[in-house]
Amino acid sequence: MSALPESSKPPTRAERKHCWKLRDEYFTCLDKISIIDPAIVDKDPSRAEGCLDSKKKYEDGCMASWVEYFNKRRVIDVRQKQYLEFSEKMSGK
Amino acid sequence: MLSRFLRPTTRVRPMFGLHNCAQPRWLSTAATNNQSPHEPKRFTWKAAGLFVATGVGLAVYFKNEKERVTKERKKKEYEANRSFGKPNIGGPFTLINAATEKPFKDTDLHGQFHLIYFGFTHCPDICPEELDKMSDVVDILASEEKIPGSKKEDLPVVPVFITCDPRRDTPAIVREYVKDFHPAMVGLTGDIDTIKRVAKSYRVYISIPDEEDDYLVDHSIFFYLMDPQGEFVDCYARDKTPEEIVESFKTYKQEYLERGGTK
Repeated sequence: MSALPESSKPPTRAERKHCWKLRDEYFTCLDKISIIDPAIVDKDPSRAEGCLDSKKKYEDGCMASWVEYFNKRRVIDVRQKQYLEFSEKMSGK
Repeated sequence: MLSRFLRPTTRVRPMFGLHNCAQPRWLSTAATNNQSPHEPKRFTWKAAGLFVATGVGLAVYFKNEKERVTKERKKKEYEANRSFGKPNIGGPFTLINAATEKPFKDTDLHGQFHLIYFGFTHCPDICPEELDKMSDVVDILASEEKIPGSKKEDLPVVPVFITCDPRRDTPAIVREYVKDFHPAMVGLTGDIDTIKRVAKSYRVYISIPDEEDDYLVDHSIFFYLMDPQGEFVDCYARDKTPEEIVESFKTYKQEYLERGGTK
């Protein structure tokens, strides 16, 4: 069996779990300072100084495509939740 | 004896029953006909037995006929409905079995119900969650039917993973990936054209970017339940829990067996 390049090998279950844990730690930190879109931190790191450490761990522990995907998903999920709360409030009236 | 029947009677007698009557008693096994017309006829066990036996015989016959007709009608209804609302999902294919690295046909899955999921090994979270869910469904059903071990041939439903990313998902990689979820999970891969064709036959949407190494494949997320003859039964979306899928499967399996479906 020929050796496969590292990027072709998918993460194992343990590696997936590890990445998810780091992601959740970073996102929890962002929640505390009310930042929804992680891209804001990329553009202006000073806005999230307390989270830069967990950000680096997250980006080192996960594949780049996953980081991009999770970041985009966070924005979508938060917006969806806000929309649902809004429409529930409206239908309640 | 004939004179008995020619004798005029002054009383109205019931046609049947245990009373003496003017009609020839052809079911009667009474030893004698010499009894007075005013005495009630003795109850004969043989007559009663024959009456009951006839009744039981008729009841059994009608019950069987009813069952037969109901089964026929169910089958006819199913066939009629099939030609209208049933989507033409699935179809013949020849892919590569990751475990053996040999060709694997759709007919190799016949003889058992099977659940098919299209995904890719570099999937961040959805595929692992869905494959864990599929394994839970298989394990719940196996434990309910008290099936020991997890040999593929013994399972009530076979879990199947087909990759949407054959460029990176070689047989070796798929083999390692599916082992992590269920020991009996079948992992299939192949060349990109065949994979695309199979995905299309299952109405699975795939979008593979042009990037070299690190990319995600966009794909639709469903389990496809297929019956032992390779016919499409139903698909389950992400919102279904393992318990809901188990209950749904049991209903379909029951219907399948009632229609006379063979394993």
